[in-house]
Order: sequence, then C-alpha cells, then structure tokens
Amino acid sequence: MDFGKTTVIKDLSFDVSRGETFGFLGSNGAGKTTTIRALLGIYLPTSGTLHIGGRSFKPEDGDRLGYLPEERGLYKKESVIDVMTYFGTLKGLDRAKARAWSREYLERVSLGDKEKVRLDRLSGGQQQKVQLGVTIMNEPDLLILDEPTKGFDPVNRRLMMNVIDERKGAGATVIMVTHQMEEVERLCDRVILLKDGMSRAYGTVTEVQDSFGGTVIHLDHDGGVPDSSAYTVLSDRDGHAELELVPGADAGAILRELVAGGTEVRAFTPTRKSLDDIFVEVYGDEAAVEA
Amino acid sequence: MAQHNLGTVVRFEVVRTLTKRRFWIATLAVPVLLVIVFFLVYASSTASDKNEAEQKNANFSFDYTDASGLVDPAIVDALAGTKVSDSAAGVAAVKSGAVDAYFSYPADPVKDTIEIYGTDSGIFGNGKYSAVALSILQRSAQSKLGAPELAQIIQGNLTTNTTTFKDGVVAGGINAVIPGMLFLAIFYVVILLLGSQMLNSTLEEKENRVTEMILTTIKPTSLILGKVISLFVVGVVQMLVLALPVVVAYALFRERLSIPGVNLSSLDFEPQTMIVGALLLIGGFALFTATLVALGAAMPTAKDAGPIFGAMMALIFIPFYVLPLTISDPTALIVEVFSYFPYSAPITGLLRNAFGTLPLAQAIIIIAILFVLAALVLRLAVMLFQYGSIEYSRKVNVRDVLFGRNSS
Repeated sequence: MDFGKTTVIKDLSFDVSRGETFGFLGSNGAGKTTTIRALLGIYLPTSGTLHIGGRSFKPEDGDRLGYLPEERGLYKKESVIDVMTYFGTLKGLDRAKARAWSREYLERVSLGDKEKVRLDRLSGGQQQKVQLGVTIMNEPDLLILDEPTKGFDPVNRRLMMNVIDERKGAGATVIMVTHQMEEVERLCDRVILLKDGMSRAYGTVTEVQDSFGGTVIHLDHDGGVPDSSAYTVLSDRDGHAELELVPGADAGAILRELVAGGTEVRAFTPTRKSLDDIFVEVYGDEAAVEA
Repeated sequence: MAQHNLGTVVRFEVVRTLTKRRFWIATLAVPVLLVIVFFLVYASSTASDKNEAEQKNANFSFDYTDASGLVDPAIVDALAGTKVSDSAAGVAAVKSGAVDAYFSYPADPVKDTIEIYGTDSGIFGNGKYSAVALSILQRSAQSKLGAPELAQIIQGNLTTNTTTFKDGVVAGGINAVIPGMLFLAIFYVVILLLGSQMLNSTLEEKENRVTEMILTTIKPTSLILGKVISLFVVGVVQMLVLALPVVVAYALFRERLSIPGVNLSSLDFEPQTMIVGALLLIGGFALFTATLVALGAAMPTAKDAGPIFGAMMALIFIPFYVLPLTISDPTALIVEVFSYFPYSAPITGLLRNAFGTLPLAQAIIIIAILFVLAALVLRLAVMLFQYGSIEYSRKVNVRDVLFGRNSS
C-alpha cells in the first residue's frame, strides 16, 4: 500500500477467525493503523484485497462493527445524549433504543447526570467513557480497537478491559492494535507482529514466543553452570543465570544434568520469552531512535 | 436506491442547528435590526414632518429687508414681521434682543444667499428662522403666480405613470423587476449567513477527529448530501424568519416609511422570470455550498481555509462593480464574462433576469453550467472528504484524490 512514493504496507497477509481475539502489534509507523484503515475502506489499498466476513467492508455493515480509532473525538459542541443517540441510529438502532441504551450506559459509568452536558464540558476521562460507549452501543460482533488504552486513566483502562472481556464472552471477534504487550499476553489468542509494513511473526502467542527463541530458564544456583549443547548461557552473575534452551531441548533433562554435574540448584524456573522481550528484540533500534 | 442513513444525518444536523441559541441570536439579529431601523425611520419621519410644520408656523418677532422686491408685505404682515431700512439696523435689533430674527433677502435670491440673523435657540430650534424666511418667499412667489398649481408644477411636485409594451402587451416595469430581485436578495442573505456554516460542515469532523467513526457508519456521499440538504433547510428557516418582519413592516407602515409606493398586489410575477430566477438561485446556492464543503474537506482547520473563504465571499460582490453596465448594456464583454463565470454567474444572471435582459437560451446555458459544475464540485467534495478528511493536520493533495491515490 503506497502513500505517494512511500510504500507503507508490503506483501501482508493474515486472517482473523470468528470469535478470536487478535493482536496487531508493532512500533509506531509499522503500518498497524494503516492496515486497519484500509480494512475499513478509509484508505485505498494500492493492490490486494481486505475482507471482513468474506467481502469488502461497507458503511452499511457498520451496525456489526465497533471501531475505536486511534484518533478519537466526538462532536464536542453537542450534548452527550444527542451524540450517543446519533451514533446509535447511524449504527442501526432505532432512536428510542439508542437513547435508552445510552442512558443505561451512562448510569453504569457514573455519568447519569451528564447526559445533557456538552461533551467539551466533560473531563478527559469522562469523554473517554462516552467514546467507549459509542463504540460498543450496537453490541458489535466485530470490535476493532486501535490503541484501546492509549491516553486512558487507570479507571477507564479497567473499564476497557471489562468491555473487551464482555464482548469476548458474547462471542465477538476482537482485533486490538497495540504495543502494550501485557494486554496482548492476557487477552489475545493470536497475534501478528508488523515491522516496516511486513509480517515479522504471526500465530498464537506461544508460537510467536517459540519463534523468537522459545524457553528461557531462570536458574538460582551455587557453583558453576556447565556448558551444554541443550542450552546457551545468556547470563550468569551473582548466582543467577539465564539459559536459553535450544529447540527440542527438555527442561527436566537439563535440571537432572545440572544436579548430576554438581550444581547446587536453589531455583529452576522455565519461562517463555515474553512478548515484551520479543518487542524489544524486534524494534529495539527503532525504539532507541524514537526515544 | 435510498441513501443509507441520509435521513439520520439531515435530522441531526437540522435539529442541532435549530436548537442552538447562537443560531437564533444570529438569525433574529437581522430582523430585530430591521425593526429598529424601520422604527427609527418611522419615528424620525414623523418627528421631522411635525417639526417642519411647527417651524414653518413658528411664532416669533422679526425684521426684514427685501432687495428683490419679491416679498409680499401682506404675508409678512400676517406674521407680524417688520420691514427695516437697512441690514445694520436689522442685525442690531437682533443683537439687542428687540426682535428674535432678521432676514436679509438679496436682489436675486436664486443666485445669492438669504442672510438670516437670530437669537440663539439651540442647534435644532434655530431651524425655525430659515423655515419661516423660505416659507415667506415661497408663499410670496405663489401669490405672484396667481395659482398654487403653477407653483407646484414649477417645484416639480408632479407624479407620472408610465405604461410600456413588450411584444404587444403591457410590460411590467419596476413591478416586474422587484420579484426577480428578490431571488438575488435571498441568494446574498443565504450565502452570507450560511457561508461559514457550509465551510465548517466538513471541517467539524476533521477538527473533532470524528471522521473515522463516521466513515465506518455512513457513506461519504450520504454524509455530504445530508449536510447540504440540512443547510438548505436551515437556509429556508432563516429566510422565513427574515421575511416575516419585512412583510409585516411593509404591509402596516409602508406609507410612513417613505418607501416608494409599490403596490404589492400589482407586482408582476412573470413566469419565465420566476422560474429562471429560482433555478439560478438553487444552482448558485448548490455551487457555493459544494465549493465551501469541498474547501472544508481539503483544509485541516478553519484558519487555513480562511483566506480562500474570504476571497469567495468577496467574489459575490464583484459583479456589482459593473452594475450600471449590466443593466444598460448586457452584451458588453465584461458582463458576458461575469454571466458565464460560474462564481459570478448567479449574481449577474439574477440581475439580468430581474431587469429582463437575460435571453432564455442564455439563461438555460448558465443554469446548466451552475448545476453541472455544482454536481462535479460536490463529487470532488465527497472524494476529498472520503480520502482526505483523515489528513487531520495537513492540506489534502487534490491531485492524489482525483487520481484515487492515498494522500502522500
């Protein structure tokens, strides 16, 4: 996908299954938001096709979709209830139902007394709640959240997580664009890592972790750590070592090997490489430049 | 096929505009101002008539000298004036307070000034001296002519009624011009009152970052069309609000407002003029709306759009610089250019239509230009909004949009 002479997305293919929670990962400028916008018909793909439910997205399908864009905003000069009702009717609800749903939601998020207040007179956190309400008021079966917790305070972050859990529980498909790795590890079934407009990794969280070196053993010990073909010693200092297992190596066998070799093992914890570590490994240079 | 969500957009845009206090303040400000102006004109006219009558009949003592020999002593005697021998005596009498005023009529009052001296009665009160001095001379002249009618004729206080024929039937004259000019007045008021709203109708989505959410629920064509329709509805409401006090004031106070006496019942609503006027008005409104909406879609903020918006607003006044030529010589090159240039065509076309100098064939061409161009610009506005409104902080590259490319 091109913007003038700049190619932003190159040779990208992925699919998201119905009912799964899918993480779209990447650093700033990796092409995440661009891909989502193209998926929703906001940008024109230079070539290729993007389908939702087997066909290109059209605004008429908006009643199935809940989209929280990265760039957020609502009609600031209008009252909360009017804006929510407007978007509700645009998303296919009848006016009375949209109004009733909005009132119920506002009560739930402690904004029941603000329905007639202009949006620009609400605090930033209150506006975020309204924005989230507008996103989910049609109870969508596809939720696309671009940086869902960006700029959210802890209260709204928790509200967002609850909303995602609720929609997941209702069988909705959730696509999250984020670089918050802890959210991804907690929520996502599968992920795709984008770098320079291309897929760097794609699969379940475990598959992606495995593709970036698999299991790391955190070892607290006395005595030396012997060399072995089953692992690589990443670090060994002050009685704490990190051993990266080679593919196919068995952690139990390594423990037995260490004990047999005379190493006094105080703690032995096999862990997969975190997505955070993988993110740093993939985007480390870019992150440094951005910083 | 029905436009998806079009009705929802129209309802939202119309209701939110009509429920805004600032809309009614802006809309009502004009008729309120008109009412105030009408009242002031009415009050001023009544007061000045009364004042003039009072001043003419003011009762004060005066002396006069008459080098012209035109002053009728009988008239002066009736006003208790006294003829004195020379100016010095008259001025001295005023200075001493022996009389209130002294008038010095020159040998030729037409060429020379009538000198008046009086006891100061304030800026407005002093007017009574010249009113009485002139009244004496006018009444003396009337008595010399021997008939008041002759005096009225000489003063030009006459009325005429002209009947002209066009194609063998009586032409409408000014009564036929007024209905046509109403379309021009409506065009100006609508564009001036709604221009800013037209511009902001698409800028608002960009400035508030609503574009992405909107574009996933409604087609840009429906959104823009909905906004244009709502602008038209709001414009009609404004027209009605503006027209009401004018009609009431005209119907009730026409005689007192010193407005030339045009009988509303005799206005000539010539069908061709009315149809062409309505089409020029709608075409012009559509073109300006589409252009301002497109401008809003292309620019990141109202501030960035300001200079072009200002130029467009100035453009609608430029045809008035050649107004005399438009009326007297509609075939002049500059008038023809203004007639066909789309952004001056509504004004020049409506003027010529009102004055009956716009041939039907030419009117059809101009109307076609306006409607076709409005449709093209509206299409461009939709494309700019669809592919450009996501550019929140920079101008849209129109060439990219036209060639279906994402803005570089």
